[in-house]
Amino acid sequence: MRLEKCWFCSSTVYPGHGIQFVRNDAKIFRFCRSKCHKNFKMKRNPRKVKWTKAFRRLHGKDMTQDSTFEFERKRNRPERYDRNVTMETLKAIKKIDKIRVAREARHHKMRMKGKKGIEQKAAERELEQGISLVKAPLALREESSLTLSKIKVKVSQPQAEYQMEE
Amino acid sequence: MRMKLKVMDNSGAKWVRCIQALKGRKGARLGDPIIASVQEVQPRGKVKKGVVVYGIVVRAAMQRGRCDGSEIRFDDNVVVLVNKQGEPIGTRVFGPVPHELRRKKHLKILTLAEHIA
Repeated sequence: MRLEKCWFCSSTVYPGHGIQFVRNDAKIFRFCRSKCHKNFKMKRNPRKVKWTKAFRRLHGKDMTQDSTFEFERKRNRPERYDRNVTMETLKAIKKIDKIRVAREARHHKMRMKGKKGIEQKAAERELEQGISLVKAPLALREESSLTLSKIKVKVSQPQAEYQMEE
Repeated sequence: MRMKLKVMDNSGAKWVRCIQALKGRKGARLGDPIIASVQEVQPRGKVKKGVVVYGIVVRAAMQRGRCDGSEIRFDDNVVVLVNKQGEPIGTRVFGPVPHELRRKKHLKILTLAEHIA
């Protein structure tokens, strides 16, 4: 029994699931579900389809290089069954998963850093520009508490008029 | 029935037309034997045009379920010509073949195959 990876979305294909397609050059494509299979038949490139792991890794949304991935490499040599080794492996799998999830969360956090600041600034700007949607400008002028504090800028008014008359 | 199948061995035939599926109520699937009529041949082959031959389906575009629950499908519909005993007429088989043939005891085809899927 072997857990394969879907060719399109890179999720694990468990036994009893999915379709494998054998091309005439003997290359085998495994798919986890018909969604991936249909996309393949449409000749879509997984690197351009947003929800696949290939796209996410290519565009830096998910972790690409990490030592936890080394443990999941495909090994073609069968291991002799040893009860202790199996026990230790099962424990290790759990621990490695925990570490990998923590590292992925950290990667996500680093990616999303500064987002709050950008959102705050955008919200302030929107409030300033679009306050008329909420309250009529006349009402705002009368009630000074509703507007943001206005900054006084010196404008040389008479000079502009003189230039226009010219 | 009446389906065109490519021949992927060096028996001389290029493609055959199925005239009877020997197994399967709704039609022969991957790994099933058929009776076919040779439609097109290569110039110096072992079979002649119009001859009625037996064949084993080694690649089918229709998916076939495996006993572990997964399904397998190939790119095209391909047959390998055999004699009545099930031994291949040609000496080479091209392209991948499924390991369903092992269960059906078509071991000779498996040994000649380039790649077993």
